[in-house]
Amino acid sequence: MYKQGGIKLGVSLYSYQDNFYFHRHDLEGCMAAAAGAGAEGIEVFADTMMPEWPYISDAFTDKWYGLLYRYGLEPVCLDHFSDRAMWKNKQLTDDELYERGVLYIKTAHKLGCKNLRVLHHEHIGLGISPYRLTDAKLVERLLPAAREYDVMLALECHAPTTIDDPVHEAYLEAAERRNIPYVGLQADFSSYEYCVSTADIELCVHNGCSRGVLERLRTLQRDAYFEGRPFVFDEVKREFDKMPLNDCDRAYLDMSIPVYGTSMKYMGVTQYNGGYRPTDWTQMYKTLKDYASKLVYVHGKFYDIDENGQVDNMDYPKIFDALKSGGYKGYICSEFEGNRRLNVKGWCDEITYVNKHHKLMRKCLEA
Amino acid sequence: MYDPYILTDVGCRNVWAAGKKEGYAVNITINYYRGLPMSCVDEITLWVDGERAAPETMVLQHAGKEVPYLDILKDDFPTDFYWVYGEHLRVVIKKPGGIAQGVHKVRLQLGTRRSYTPTMVSVCEKDLIFA
Repeated sequence: MYKQGGIKLGVSLYSYQDNFYFHRHDLEGCMAAAAGAGAEGIEVFADTMMPEWPYISDAFTDKWYGLLYRYGLEPVCLDHFSDRAMWKNKQLTDDELYERGVLYIKTAHKLGCKNLRVLHHEHIGLGISPYRLTDAKLVERLLPAAREYDVMLALECHAPTTIDDPVHEAYLEAAERRNIPYVGLQADFSSYEYCVSTADIELCVHNGCSRGVLERLRTLQRDAYFEGRPFVFDEVKREFDKMPLNDCDRAYLDMSIPVYGTSMKYMGVTQYNGGYRPTDWTQMYKTLKDYASKLVYVHGKFYDIDENGQVDNMDYPKIFDALKSGGYKGYICSEFEGNRRLNVKGWCDEITYVNKHHKLMRKCLEA
Repeated sequence: MYDPYILTDVGCRNVWAAGKKEGYAVNITINYYRGLPMSCVDEITLWVDGERAAPETMVLQHAGKEVPYLDILKDDFPTDFYWVYGEHLRVVIKKPGGIAQGVHKVRLQLGTRRSYTPTMVSVCEKDLIFA
């Protein structure tokens, strides 16, 4: 157990999705993989690895607690989704979406998860979801159920948002106003990507982009980050205009078009609502330190690990320094998202990726 | 997601009754990282050797249940019938005489609504061997 700063390490079973999808491992196999990586806790998606969902039986629950005992794991977080667009021609009403929210809260309680990752409206920023997701009004309605079942509603602050993004304020304000302290901020390391990941490059090249163009973008972003200056795309745009670009390259380099299935393509700048702003990295890590003691959960997001054992597009030593010195107490769970980018080339060895990631996180904790 | 893998080569065969071929079947898997209610499936379109299977002849079999394909597109279709992540959704195309045994070029277009990102349409084309 890693006592430094009260931080514990876990794995989101999302990391093993290909092993499950392609039937190499069932839920137990994924739990065994997490325990083998050294995890103390796990995050689980009922929608993904519990075929009984949405009705989790007592028999399954008995088995679940048996598996947690066998592998020495703690249930950390269940994931909530906002399937507003339930039918082709009609959407769920607010009442219906609220009821599904309560079902997720009850399920988290039944499975022993103290956190529910809420798919809130601004989860991946504004203007991407075509539907109204679980907004601050709905979260406010969910507060009494969260208190009754003792489940923290964790607002995942995912790129392009950050933990200090004003979009999260309405949720925190509702909890404060109602005096029901069951909404908390969850950091996701996607907010700290300083360059396009090598995993993204593989996916985008598979989809038609030119490797040279993306690798040049990555180099320019890395140069800026390691020289301690913000990356401003407009300053280098002319270099790309001179390159022989295909349609995919042009779409990728167009700031106003998000590319789904890839991480934020302009990290090093934060793409936001179709626009972008340069990132002040000193301030980013300071803000993380300032917020650390208030965070309820953390996603150790990563896409690829380089030959030095580092995450290829995030500064883990600096992120961990901020969390430790800021007094974060709670879980950091590995969330490997390289699988869905790299599997276009064939089998992606998620188990080895997570093991390497845990080794890196332990090194950062002990530093 | 999983675009190259959603059309499987498992269980491609004619469907028989009383000694006669009544249709054929393929097994597909979801193009997402979690299971979804069947009512969130926007589109399953199949082409075999370039010919589109008529939607009204398609029947879906999953988790011990069977529904006509067109039913899942209707308003108020039950929201608790899930397409389980990683599990086969068996698509049976009713066609008297079935399909000739052997290799056929099959193309699948699968659209699913997932709320926080726009509907994802995946296409997969493969040569499948039918029994």
